Amino acid sequence: MNDRVIFHIDVNSAYLSWEAVYRLQHGSSIDLREIPSIVGGDQEKRHGIVLAKSIPAKKYGIITGESVHSAREKCPQLVSVPPNYPRYVLASDAMIRILEKYSPHIQRYSIDEAFLDFSGRGENFMDAAFRLKEEVKESLGFSVNIGIGPNKLLAKMASDFTKPDKIHTLFHHEIKDKMHSLPVRDLFMVGSRTEKKLQSRGIFTIGDLANTKRDYIHSWLKKPGLLIWEYANGIEDSPVKNGLIPLKSVGNSTTMPFDVETREEAHKVLLAISEMIGLRLRDLDSCGGVISVSIKNHMFFSYSHQRKLITPTNCTNTIYRVSRELFDEMWKGEALRHFSINLSNLVSNDFFQLSILESYNKKEELLDRTIDNIRLKYGQNSVIRSCFLYSGIDPIIGGVVAEEAYPMMSSIL
Amino acid sequence: MKQIEMIAWFKSDTYPIPLRFRIEGEDKSKIVVKIDKVLFQEEEKLGGNRMVIYRCEGIIQGLQKLFELKYEISTCKWFLFKL
Repeated sequence: MNDRVIFHIDVNSAYLSWEAVYRLQHGSSIDLREIPSIVGGDQEKRHGIVLAKSIPAKKYGIITGESVHSAREKCPQLVSVPPNYPRYVLASDAMIRILEKYSPHIQRYSIDEAFLDFSGRGENFMDAAFRLKEEVKESLGFSVNIGIGPNKLLAKMASDFTKPDKIHTLFHHEIKDKMHSLPVRDLFMVGSRTEKKLQSRGIFTIGDLANTKRDYIHSWLKKPGLLIWEYANGIEDSPVKNGLIPLKSVGNSTTMPFDVETREEAHKVLLAISEMIGLRLRDLDSCGGVISVSIKNHMFFSYSHQRKLITPTNCTNTIYRVSRELFDEMWKGEALRHFSINLSNLVSNDFFQLSILESYNKKEELLDRTIDNIRLKYGQNSVIRSCFLYSGIDPIIGGVVAEEAYPMMSSIL
Repeated sequence: MKQIEMIAWFKSDTYPIPLRFRIEGEDKSKIVVKIDKVLFQEEEKLGGNRMVIYRCEGIIQGLQKLFELKYEISTCKWFLFKL
């Protein structure tokens, strides 16, 4: 495994590039990549956050995830375009088809990132990476960064160095020069909280972390600490996995177009989300063992509550019933704007242990299956619960197609 | 780029061949253009979206002109791309 060569291919400002290319192809004279522009959610529906930004927009200090409103304050002439996920899936699929010409070992890491195992393919990897980058640009019209390393971690770190349209390498002998001077926050898996913790003990760069004693980190931060210490030293050996990684949890959330103020309405929102999660779990032939509900109030403060079930479930009614209990136990009565439900500890639904403490209803299972089949055949809204009629709440809530198909699995390499 | 109405010849072995299109002028009048010659055609797949681009010759309002047409495969729509 010592002479592996792994590519990490990362589309430069993906959503924005794809949107720009589509517009150019349809006769627009403006290239969104060359002006301050963003792909942003719908402000009317209060989904107004920045999903992607152009490089000129970045110069105004606009960051992904901030509100469209505050982005406009930074740059009044900012152009904002709505997202179109099916379009992005098309672009992503086309890129993967090009990658397949270079190696059979490809791992789709998210909609705009992929790993490619180039080990033992004979050709000089720099030449191949250059050809690949040019082919994507030439035939699909957008640019990518390619990071090359001896493992997935270093390849991913390398593709992030400088953008756009560049190839970087990061092999073990280059770690000291290229990676150790970077702030520790740039290391994969180090978020803002870990960063603070590390800084409190004088660890500011990746090099500082790499040079700390392994035992010291282990006794202080336990297993997760060991992982980032290994990453700082470039140690990582997971294979490039073809296909998607098995899911660890299934969740959906929604930001409501209006503030929800009554318990009855909140329950309906939870039911609508439960419908979606139940449907997805049954589609995956899985059951979830832990249900967690999180809500965000009108002051943007969020909190959550979770419970382990005695029997794992994928039944819409059970998910709803438990979510409702969790919600009632934590809600303080204020206006709410965001709801989410998440089911984790997934197990296969082939067989499971029944419990004498919980009722099991075969009929509910059959009903769920029947409703799923009707919805599959005649459309999602062919059968809905009557409580949603005239309620102003969609009967099934959650998720965009693209993000469900290619979830952002940022914590698993 | 403007969407146009098109009469095309869908041959069995190649991309559809544009024959005649109709476009609405700014004064809402309809102009019909006969395509005399397709100089070249090429498929592009920018952003993964397949389109066939045609450079054509024809007579528009009494003048011989060069123009480019586009056919979007996923939507079956024709466009006047460049004039």
